[in-house]
Amino acid sequence: MNTRSIRFRLTVWYAGLLAALLLLFGTSIYLGLRHYLNQSLNESLSRQARQIGEGFLIDIATGGEGYVISEINEHYAPELNNRFVRVTRADGSVLYVSGKPKESGFDPSAVPVLNPSTGRAFLREVHQPGSELLIYTMPFTEREGKRFLVEVGAPYEQVENVLRGLLLALGLGLPLTVVVAISGGYLLIRRALDPVAEITRSAEQITSRNLSQRLPLAHTGDELERLSIALNRMIGRLEESFQYMQRFSADASHELRTPLTVLRGELEALAHRQRLDLEVHETIGSALEETERLSRIVENLLTISRLDAGEAQVEHARLDLAELAVNTTEQMRLLAEDKKITLDCEANGRVDIDGDRARLKQVVVNLVDNAVKYTPEGGAVRVKVEAAKGIAVLIVEDNGGGIPAEALPHLFERFYRADKARSRQMGGTGLGLAIAKSIVTAHGGQLMVESKEGVGSRFRVELPLDDKRTDNDG
Amino acid sequence: MRILLIEDDEKIARFITKGLQAERFAVDVAGDGRGGLEMATTWNYDLIILDLMLPVLDGTEVLGRLRTVNEQVPVLVLTARDTLTDKVTHFEAGADDYLTKPFAFAELLVRARALLRRGAVSRANVVRVADLELDRLSQQVRRGGIKIELTSKEYALLEYLMLNAGRVVSRTMIIEHVWDQSFDGATNIVDVYVRHLRNKIDDPHGRKLIRTVRGVGYSISDEETA
Repeated sequence: MNTRSIRFRLTVWYAGLLAALLLLFGTSIYLGLRHYLNQSLNESLSRQARQIGEGFLIDIATGGEGYVISEINEHYAPELNNRFVRVTRADGSVLYVSGKPKESGFDPSAVPVLNPSTGRAFLREVHQPGSELLIYTMPFTEREGKRFLVEVGAPYEQVENVLRGLLLALGLGLPLTVVVAISGGYLLIRRALDPVAEITRSAEQITSRNLSQRLPLAHTGDELERLSIALNRMIGRLEESFQYMQRFSADASHELRTPLTVLRGELEALAHRQRLDLEVHETIGSALEETERLSRIVENLLTISRLDAGEAQVEHARLDLAELAVNTTEQMRLLAEDKKITLDCEANGRVDIDGDRARLKQVVVNLVDNAVKYTPEGGAVRVKVEAAKGIAVLIVEDNGGGIPAEALPHLFERFYRADKARSRQMGGTGLGLAIAKSIVTAHGGQLMVESKEGVGSRFRVELPLDDKRTDNDG
Repeated sequence: MRILLIEDDEKIARFITKGLQAERFAVDVAGDGRGGLEMATTWNYDLIILDLMLPVLDGTEVLGRLRTVNEQVPVLVLTARDTLTDKVTHFEAGADDYLTKPFAFAELLVRARALLRRGAVSRANVVRVADLELDRLSQQVRRGGIKIELTSKEYALLEYLMLNAGRVVSRTMIIEHVWDQSFDGATNIVDVYVRHLRNKIDDPHGRKLIRTVRGVGYSISDEETA
């Protein structure tokens, strides 16, 4: 799982937040309930103590101690209600103490007797093995001035039982809630993000060659629809500026042609004059050569911008790449021999592809010419054509000086020259490889290069094979 | 021979006019489409050279209207646009040939001549320049009576030079006729072949026939080189 995906992070955040909130909620319920239960226990203990005092003890002089004892038993039945009740006389002797409760484990007789001289009511806790008592102690003075200590207590158990039940409910319920919420949230996020995956897929398919395409719109009216609309507008603007760029190179090429025509025509007219001294002749010739090169650059730029725009008229016909390579190499043999470079072409049988013969021939010419130019005397250039796995492969390799690694990524860029001084001296336009690349790309193929300095370079053209009828019997 | 040049760019019109006049053609120039069409329909020209981007009346329009009146006169179109669709459109509209700017004047001249003598293909089977002799039937080349062995490309190159003897042919023209356009570009294949041809034709002899015109191209002639 991709832990950096929005889906994962949102789910984690969401789950963490929910768990924290639920924990806070559970804790406050627990604390609140405990507070409330303690409070009400305190209140009921003090109320009962007061009732014992003000209801029965106050009349002890007239009713006698037996009356008080029977009244307490009758009204409060401490054993049945799990209560502890004790009335102590001023001298410390016990007037009344409740018996062992029916359902609780504390022992009333084991509760230590207090000094009855206490002047104020107070709460205390008494620990007994297996039980804990909360006891409200209240001094009381009856009408004739006799002092008593009234104690009413109850075990904590009841409060604890309730709290334990709550804790259990929370302990089981909260994690379950979190789990359900996480899975629900995960599914929701996935549903919400599915269109993003769709947008990503479509956006990845858009390149400079199909800028007219747009992303599919999810008509959901939500942020994602707005996102795809915004992306589409951006693609639109890209398309515009791309078209502008292409129109610009096309227009610029057209505009340059007229002055170039004039320049060339007038220089040529001069060059044909007989009575010029040698220096002027040389200068005119040199100017003409540059004019020629300028024309070629303009021409090539226009060709590239058309190919890249998909406007070029790439004719489609079935052709044998092997035969094309063999013939072209043959035509260029003298070029190689002139530099004492051996040039051979290896091809076994037909390799049929669908394409524009003249343009593909230009690819072979440019690659072989490039290889011959950059291979020193005595070197070798090999051309190889083969068909492999539905792909027609044309390889042009040399054992020349190779190309520096830092130059490789830029090799097919317009006007890129790996060895600036040298290539300009050779009269190139700096566009040969860029054109080859554009042609191959326009044919739905790829042009790659690998090179090692001092060992040589290898250019590899891959084109879709037209395998409807390819046979290898040559 | 009378040629009408319809071209709005004065400088281009000027050097074409001068060049053609130097070749002893009579040249009239029209600076816009309407004037050009008027002249083309009024006078009898042997050839019309028509630029396509014209003010007032576009070159394509001129060509269309001209062809409704005169189907005979050959028209050579000059264009700064060279997409295939353009070419097809112009041939369909009645152009006989086209030339993409910028062009070498020599090329314009060759194409103009080809259009002017179209129909009359009677060319000699044996072409001679000084003591160099090329037999187009047996494809044999002799200089001073001695047979010279040439490869087929060398033969094609020499034949092209000799058919245009006395005129300068550009590298582009050579490439288009002897190789094909795929070679037009950075290759110096023409220079390499010309050098090999010189080794065989000129080097054994005192008198050099193949001449380099720097920046323009090559020519073969029996004029004494300067």
